[in-house]
Amino acid sequence: MSNTDENKLPHGEPEIDELTNDRYLGGHEYDGIRELDNKLPAWWLYLFYFTIIFGLVYLVGYHLAGWWPLQDDEYKNEVAAAAVIKQAVPVVTIDLENLVPLTAEADLASGKETYDKICVTCHGKFGEGLVGPNFTDMFWIHGDSTNNKVSIKNLYDVVITGVIEKGMISYKDQLSPIQIQQVLSFILTFQGTNPANQKAPQGKKYDTFG
Amino acid sequence: MELQKFYYDNKIVKLFAYATLFWGIVGMLVGVLVAIQLVFPAFNFNLAFTTFGRVRPVHTNAIIFAFVGNGIFTGYYYSLQRLLKTGMASKWMSYTHFWGWQSIIVLAAVTLLAGFTSGKEYAELEWPIDILIAVIWVIFGWNMMWTILKRRTKHIYVAIWFYIATFVTVAVLHIGNSIEIPWSFLKSYPVYAGVQDALVQWWYGHNAVAFFLTTPYLGLMYYFMPKAANRPVYSYKLSIIHFWALIFLYIWAGPHHLLYQSIPNWAQSLGTVFSLMLIAPSWGGMINGLLTLRGAWDKVREEPVLKFFVVAITAYGMSTFEGPMLSLKSINAISHFTNWTVGHVHIGALGWNGFLTFGMIYWLMPRLFNTKLYSVKLANLHFWMGTLAILFYSIPLYWAGWTEASMFKQFNEAGELVYPNFLQVVSQIMPMYVMRIFGGTLYFLGAIIMVFNIVKTVKAGSFVATEADEAPALEKEGGMKSGEDFHRFLERKPVRFMILAIVAILIGGIVEIVPTYLIKSNIPTISSVKPYTPLELQGRDIYIKEGCYNCHSQMIRPFRSETERYGEYSKAGEYVYDHPFQWGSKRTGPDLWREGVKTGRLYKPDSWHYNHFMDPQKMNATSIMPKYSWLADYEIDINSTPAKIRVMQTLGVPYPEGYDKIANDDLKAQAEKIAAGLKAQGIDVDSNKQVIALIAYIQRLGTDISSGTETAETK
Repeated sequence: MSNTDENKLPHGEPEIDELTNDRYLGGHEYDGIRELDNKLPAWWLYLFYFTIIFGLVYLVGYHLAGWWPLQDDEYKNEVAAAAVIKQAVPVVTIDLENLVPLTAEADLASGKETYDKICVTCHGKFGEGLVGPNFTDMFWIHGDSTNNKVSIKNLYDVVITGVIEKGMISYKDQLSPIQIQQVLSFILTFQGTNPANQKAPQGKKYDTFG
Repeated sequence: MELQKFYYDNKIVKLFAYATLFWGIVGMLVGVLVAIQLVFPAFNFNLAFTTFGRVRPVHTNAIIFAFVGNGIFTGYYYSLQRLLKTGMASKWMSYTHFWGWQSIIVLAAVTLLAGFTSGKEYAELEWPIDILIAVIWVIFGWNMMWTILKRRTKHIYVAIWFYIATFVTVAVLHIGNSIEIPWSFLKSYPVYAGVQDALVQWWYGHNAVAFFLTTPYLGLMYYFMPKAANRPVYSYKLSIIHFWALIFLYIWAGPHHLLYQSIPNWAQSLGTVFSLMLIAPSWGGMINGLLTLRGAWDKVREEPVLKFFVVAITAYGMSTFEGPMLSLKSINAISHFTNWTVGHVHIGALGWNGFLTFGMIYWLMPRLFNTKLYSVKLANLHFWMGTLAILFYSIPLYWAGWTEASMFKQFNEAGELVYPNFLQVVSQIMPMYVMRIFGGTLYFLGAIIMVFNIVKTVKAGSFVATEADEAPALEKEGGMKSGEDFHRFLERKPVRFMILAIVAILIGGIVEIVPTYLIKSNIPTISSVKPYTPLELQGRDIYIKEGCYNCHSQMIRPFRSETERYGEYSKAGEYVYDHPFQWGSKRTGPDLWREGVKTGRLYKPDSWHYNHFMDPQKMNATSIMPKYSWLADYEIDINSTPAKIRVMQTLGVPYPEGYDKIANDDLKAQAEKIAAGLKAQGIDVDSNKQVIALIAYIQRLGTDISSGTETAETK
């Protein structure tokens, strides 16, 4: 009995499903489950063809023709585009010889933003100190002990060079000079505050700041 | 023709159905717990075995292999016997399969919580259990093939095609991905490292989705949907095409889990295009499922079973469209490592697998107990709760995924990251995590209602342990007849069918994995990359044991948003000694691959790490990382060092000859140095504690490349 014959009723006509008018496949019955002889839906077939063609074009475009960049080149392009943007940003120069704390609200707000992004991890939300020292008192680790004074320039140098053995990395590539000045100015606003969980004083007590 | 009488074994079906319900409830409850832990770290209970990194694999394994696994076997034992007009070939094999599978689940839960894990997602179980799985799986498959061979029907139905493909492919995947060398009774290292391990793992991982969560469930759909609707299957031709296309194409798609990562570009592209080509074959199943209801849509209104099936198949259609979309590079750049993926898989798990299982159970149990369902109203209530739950679960996670991606990638006019602190993003998506708990809990409660409904049904009925049926014996038939369609011929030659299925599923894996061994340029070597020190190796094993990879990736992708945040992007050659690889698949916390680079943005001192492991919230109030304070109590298992070194040497890691004997000297020296450094910072911890090893490992991460240059030997 060939497959085509299986589709026929004894009198030669294919059996038709009453609800859908579709043809049954003869001989296809499994525990009462029957199967219809419907063709593949055209849209389905075209979708399948489309994805196959897409796949071929994709492989050719990326790997044979080189129409589109692969990931390493894509990254290079992205970095090059960013370099252009960065160059366009005007560089704010600061006077390193006579560095003073900034007091303008905008500077302090910008300093706080940097602090909350970066410094907070080791120095605490309120400058109370965690792994790093607190900022609330006049005890400083990196002051200028020969002249017995500590200045914002001393702190600036710490941010630029880092104290890697203690875990403070150099931020010279992450922060611009003005950003460092701003964040240090913000940090100085912690002076004299008394937040909870303050870390014990570290370093040497200085009398003057400036 | 003379009719033969035979009996269907319903008891094995009943046992698997009970196991499905039981493990389903357990798996969902654990899911709710891990969802809560992501919002309230206190729910990690500060105990090693209740912490997220160990509990999350219990959730995924319980849902995939316990809930869905038992669901597969429930429907399979019921339908196989009836579709073949015979009882199971071997009773002892059926019951060994059942009890073997349940013992695997129990062993899995216990060992995972105890911290014995291979560190490879969805394949976390260690080598003795891997062997047990292989044995039990072969018993299951042997019994199936034997039953098929003694059938009384001439042809095998499409459901059985899917069962056969499931059996052979899962066996190949499981064995292929689990080749490992033990260094103790419960621990081993995989033979693959880095890029190769990643490719093998996601060849496995992706096809666990394909051949454990998809093909067997398509088989169940092809049986239970026409049965429940009492309608014919829409198109036999479509069954053939979509079946073969599906199993052939699926195997290739694994690398779409590794886009923009350190695997060869050609492998990534194959992953992308084969994923895309899967849309139509997957939808073939959806069409055949939904169009089987043509002429009977009115029944869907009355019959909760059909409602569950319709939502299940719709969810299947949605996630098999979404999957290929997520495999496009531009979309994957956004979605990968975020909660989008988690949302995506839950459409599949909650919608497709969950709802198909529920519908099947509601249909099956009254029949097994020769009664009616206790309450159609409660089943409808369950349906609506479940449907809403899927929305409440997935929409917040899609939203979270988008939020994460846009915040991670946002630069300001000056070209700097707007949200350089990872925690800013974590805090932003917290409300979505809360909504997800609500969605998950709702789904869980719906399942509880189902259990109640089923218990009532079971109590009202009387179990039909064996069911008699009659059919004529199968006549012997030889080769292909003239005019016989080739596939029709194949359907009465199950062994040939199985061999063809094996061929179809082997091709993709071979093409994608073998060249990474044969062609050197696929993984350019980096001369400065050295094996881990013994202490770092011990630390790495603690990292794996605690399941850190569940939340942290070790794979920086080549995007400016990632290199600005984490440092230099990852290179294939950096991972050559990573047995297993730990790239991760989700960033609940930040990537850690450059954590040890002292000039990097993420560098933190040993003392910070110590304090952070002890109490992450002390260091970052909004952190959701659990405490790992026991790491300062437990000692490093230095007795294992020589065996670990020897296994690594066997795997080709170039430790000097005889290093296993002196490795612990180096270990102690390095540990004492770290402990002394911590002491100088006021932290008193013995050098033999686990936290020391973990710190050593973390500080090593990503540091080899800073002095090295990448060279491909073939270039």
